[in-house]
Amino acid sequence: MRPYLRALTSPREKPKDKTLELDRVVKVFHGNGSFLPVLEDISFRVERGELICILGRSGCGKSTLLKIVAGFLSPSSGKVLLKNKPVEGPGPERCVIFQEDALFPWLTVQENIAFGLRGRGLDRKSKAQEVERFLSLVGMNEFRNYLPGEISGGMKQRVSLARVLILKPEVLLMDEPFASLDAQSREEMQNLLLSLWRELAHTVLFVTHDVNEAVLLADRILLMSKNPGRIREEIEVDLPRPRMRESSQFIDLGRRLYDALRES
Amino acid sequence: MDRARRHKGLAGRFLPWIIPALFFMVWLSVSSTGLIPTYLLPHPLEIAHAGYAYVLGQPGQGPYAGRFLTDAGASLLRVGCGFAAAVGVGLPLGILSGRLLLVQRLMSTTVNALRAVPGITWLPLAMVWFGIGMKTTVFLVALAAFFPVYLNAAAGARQVNPLWLQAGAMMGVRRLRGTFAILLPGAMPHLMTGLRLGLGISWAYLVLGELTGVPNGLGAIIMDARMLGRIDMIVVGIMVIAVIGRLSDQLLQAGMKFCFKSARRMA
Repeated sequence: MRPYLRALTSPREKPKDKTLELDRVVKVFHGNGSFLPVLEDISFRVERGELICILGRSGCGKSTLLKIVAGFLSPSSGKVLLKNKPVEGPGPERCVIFQEDALFPWLTVQENIAFGLRGRGLDRKSKAQEVERFLSLVGMNEFRNYLPGEISGGMKQRVSLARVLILKPEVLLMDEPFASLDAQSREEMQNLLLSLWRELAHTVLFVTHDVNEAVLLADRILLMSKNPGRIREEIEVDLPRPRMRESSQFIDLGRRLYDALRES
Repeated sequence: MDRARRHKGLAGRFLPWIIPALFFMVWLSVSSTGLIPTYLLPHPLEIAHAGYAYVLGQPGQGPYAGRFLTDAGASLLRVGCGFAAAVGVGLPLGILSGRLLLVQRLMSTTVNALRAVPGITWLPLAMVWFGIGMKTTVFLVALAAFFPVYLNAAAGARQVNPLWLQAGAMMGVRRLRGTFAILLPGAMPHLMTGLRLGLGISWAYLVLGELTGVPNGLGAIIMDARMLGRIDMIVVGIMVIAVIGRLSDQLLQAGMKFCFKSARRMA
């Protein structure tokens, strides 16, 4: 790592508390007699409360990596550990925000947010309070009785955020969640994510192909190269928050990453 | 949703009745002018008289007077039992076959072979097995209604958005709740189509089952009237079945919408 990328401010003090660990994860797809290595020897750790961006071009296996952490796919070899316990199948401690809209279209905004709370032993009143709190956290109070089909793409992703954050996951996994939004709502959602992150201090693993998005959000960026997908570089982002897109450090780092991405 | 709303105006209210009204006017004119003799197609007034006597008359005033309630009741019971049996078996089996490849493999050859057999071919066999009457009719109705219910349930379960199931799994939803809270609502538009087609075909096979010499029922009336040369009663029977069939379809939809959010909001 080149020195000029680092240490723009004093590093924030954070308790080193390992939440997620990937240990030499390999994924090979088998298809009619041929093998396609998708991920090779992926190892990294995520501390509690960290916001990590996995940056890579399309086809580098970053979504596959996220699906493995989520438990929708299992690694061909290697281990995924959450708080030192191996991950088996999907579960509410590793919630996913999908790129496409995955809300239940037959439930209102409010019912979608409350969906995961069932069977958690909450009484009606505290459940309603929780739903209320998360509705206002994502700014959807006024739209509580709307159906997903009646609200915009940005609003849908707000609801998606609320319905998993209410479950208090250890790690929030985000698979290019804002890629299909228009520029303005994307910026809004990025700011919302950051403010929620400040408030709730959850750990985030965020997959993106957008350099600026990674620079804006990440504590650390894992740069992936493709064929097969591997982590090429790990970049600590020490820019002070809130980050200014116009600042020269922001632009420099962005340009550097952009070049690195093009070579990958 | 939008499409439904757009036609709620005055024009929208009249639109469905244009074709029936035109049909009626053509009928009235060909009957009144004698273009078609009344022994082939009775005059609307005759039909109205026969229908009035059938539905509102006192028993004993004429051969068919006042029999409507017992006939309709008997037919409804047969359709109800047959359709319920078809749904009870077809819906769970369809859902299973839509989700589990094993069940689909197990069922598909048999179902498709049986589906190729026209329902009417079962009639002789059913008469031997169950005799004439209630059981035969219920059997035919259930058999016929099974296929649309089963096939649509399977298609619905197969085509449920996999993201919904993934989202459920990640929110900690287990299989049983996932089935009732995600799979069934997600498949609701297809389930609804299957139920409506099944109920429609139930009425068709009801008449088939009742043509075979049962004493009461709407199909029996039609057959009986044919033997007595009462064309007017045949037409009355057809109209009664059309009206009841349409009403039962609307009742089914309203009932589903009343019971299930997903039917209310998606189908």
